[in-house]
Amino acid sequence: MHTRSAILLAVALALPGVPAVAQMSRAALVKRSDIIFIGTVTQVGAVAAPEVPASPRTTVVRIDNVLEKPAAVALAPGDSVTVETVQPGSLKPGTQATFYTTGWIFGRGVAVREVGHEPGRSPVVVADQQEAVARARLEVNDADLKAHIQRAAMVVAGRVEQVRPAELAAAPTRPKRITEHDPQWQEAIIHVQDGIKGAQAGDQVVVRFPGSRDVAWVGAPRFTVGQEGTFLLHKDSTTGSPLTMIAGKAVPAYTALHDVDVLSKQDATRVRALIRKP
Amino acid sequence: MRMRVITAAVALWAACEAPNRGAPPGRQAGVRVVDVIPLSLSGETWQDAEPFLALYDSDPKLLAASAFTPNPGGSASATAPIFVSNDGGDSWTLRNTLPSEVMTADITHAVGGNPPVLYAGILKVPGVPLNELKTGDFLSAAKMTLQASRADIDQPFVRTTAIASADRVYVGLNDFDAPDGRTATVDVSLDGGATYTSRRIETRNTLGQNGPSIRPAVAQDHTVYVAYFGWRSQAGSDVTSDVVVVRDDSGATGVTPFRDLLDPSDHLAGRLVATHVTIPWSNAPTLGQERIGSTLSIAVNPLHSDTVYMAWADRVGTGDIYTVHLRRSGDRGATWSGDRRTVTNATNASLAVAANGTVGLLYQQVTGSGDASRWVTRLERSRDGFATHEDVVLADVPATTPAFQFLPYIGDYNGLLARGNVFLGIFSANNAPDSANFPQGVVYQRRVDFPTHRLLDGSGAAVAVSIDPFFFSVPVLP
Repeated sequence: MHTRSAILLAVALALPGVPAVAQMSRAALVKRSDIIFIGTVTQVGAVAAPEVPASPRTTVVRIDNVLEKPAAVALAPGDSVTVETVQPGSLKPGTQATFYTTGWIFGRGVAVREVGHEPGRSPVVVADQQEAVARARLEVNDADLKAHIQRAAMVVAGRVEQVRPAELAAAPTRPKRITEHDPQWQEAIIHVQDGIKGAQAGDQVVVRFPGSRDVAWVGAPRFTVGQEGTFLLHKDSTTGSPLTMIAGKAVPAYTALHDVDVLSKQDATRVRALIRKP
Repeated sequence: MRMRVITAAVALWAACEAPNRGAPPGRQAGVRVVDVIPLSLSGETWQDAEPFLALYDSDPKLLAASAFTPNPGGSASATAPIFVSNDGGDSWTLRNTLPSEVMTADITHAVGGNPPVLYAGILKVPGVPLNELKTGDFLSAAKMTLQASRADIDQPFVRTTAIASADRVYVGLNDFDAPDGRTATVDVSLDGGATYTSRRIETRNTLGQNGPSIRPAVAQDHTVYVAYFGWRSQAGSDVTSDVVVVRDDSGATGVTPFRDLLDPSDHLAGRLVATHVTIPWSNAPTLGQERIGSTLSIAVNPLHSDTVYMAWADRVGTGDIYTVHLRRSGDRGATWSGDRRTVTNATNASLAVAANGTVGLLYQQVTGSGDASRWVTRLERSRDGFATHEDVVLADVPATTPAFQFLPYIGDYNGLLARGNVFLGIFSANNAPDSANFPQGVVYQRRVDFPTHRLLDGSGAAVAVSIDPFFFSVPVLP
């Protein structure tokens, strides 16, 4: 199937009149897109909903199949969306293509901005495109995770043994502030079962995380005693207090503030494979 | 009687005509409540708390609104959304034009003069630095332009006034880098946001900082009032505070602004409207799943700047959790009434004064207890300085569902403004499509099924109840 996708892309790139942006790899298109669909152009220089301003770049596309979309977005086959194209005149009525887009205006209808489109065979083979986009998304996710692993100071699989309030060294010029955005730093002590990067089995590491439920920290992972996982840890450059204590000894403190910093225990295998992957 | 029949018939016709409209009997004429979440986001389940509203005086059809709504594109998004309406609030669209990852951590905004410019103050994600932003065309999909930025700021609160040559912008904020713990600050721009000067307004000693809410209000004669909490001491989670108002009679254009209102007790700038009140600072679910500690609002009669109203919340200590107080001054803040209104177990007080002098007080109150507790959102209107008032219940929804995802649950503030003969505002609440929850009726843009009280996604599948922003309009009293 991988070969079939590559052939499909090669055919697409060989077609005359394909806009330059479509010459990005499929993975590059997927990486920059959050709404991907197969659709057929019905009108050029028009809009599908009145809240969207018409221009020579706006095109109405009827959705044939939705390949990816956020859960909140209402989009189904048969719907018409407004696509703001990268290049005016790049699409003609009747053209069927796979559209890689990002959300632009959400009202009675959806308007999207084109990242690129892939004018494959007509009609597009839906199953092929679904598989191709899914494979590209996996490649993108793996590449993002690999980059994240490379940026991490330490990667471990382990178990949270203890959670305690963080005692940060007070900076003399920065008294404690009372604010609803106070992260209320906590520390999780993790017993390392598998030192994947920068640690060894049996080590203990301290990870700081916000205990606050404030909106400013809504996406940050939390830790609980007994939690097991694969953790991508970064030296603490957030709290202003880079060291902490374990058993009376000063040690570096780490953070894991991004949602991909905390993976399942089973993800350790995937993480090791990505580290080995050239 | 005949008019009542006609009104009821019109309401019934409207209810039958619009499938997404819930219209119980007994609604007051001219009241609109609209769920802001658009049809194309019918699958949305986020906690869209802390709403805010801005109006374009030059075009009544244009409005901007915000909430803690995420970019629908997901966690990798580099921008956050605002809602805009170009039909006077009947319908809303979402556009991702704020330079903040996924959503903001605070946002308020206001519109300047001619040409109409939208100014916004946000705490940007990540890191929550203040960003002071503007755009000349909020209907455009272009990102708002950054005018100024700095760290260690809380609760930027934007107000504007239009003058002939350039807009004046006032951003009340708590600036933790202010000297001597006197953190109450107003960033003042006299040149349409091109430059800002931070003006410190606290003249007394604090416990090391002021409270987070610093609220400006501007009259048409360019008198600027600012309300803030003068935090004096703390014992546990209780803060002892003064409630203070400063005033500037010339739009804060002078070298030492906000010094035109002195307190007779110490002859310092800043009239002490109330002293030694107890502010329960609780950054945990405390009142109907909401945190408390920063409710404060001020409004000035736009045409008669002598008349000014203040509302704040504190703990009175007679079994209440949090009590809203409303007071009035008719002499430019020199003297103040006692409480003209008190509301127990309430928060998110917002004030506005219409051109004819009608004052509006919007608040959200927890009634009942336990699983039966409700968040009731009310607008009270008065033509006599709250000697008497008329009451409109905008929403009466369960307080225990949905469970909070983060704080604030419904907001540390909401929004109320006046334009012409109407109050326009916004609040957040449980979005279950149950007509009994909205006594004035409600219009959903998102897909709902009123008979079964269900929210539906684009495919018709049921969607979980969540917190949505609701825009409303209510006529001022004649």
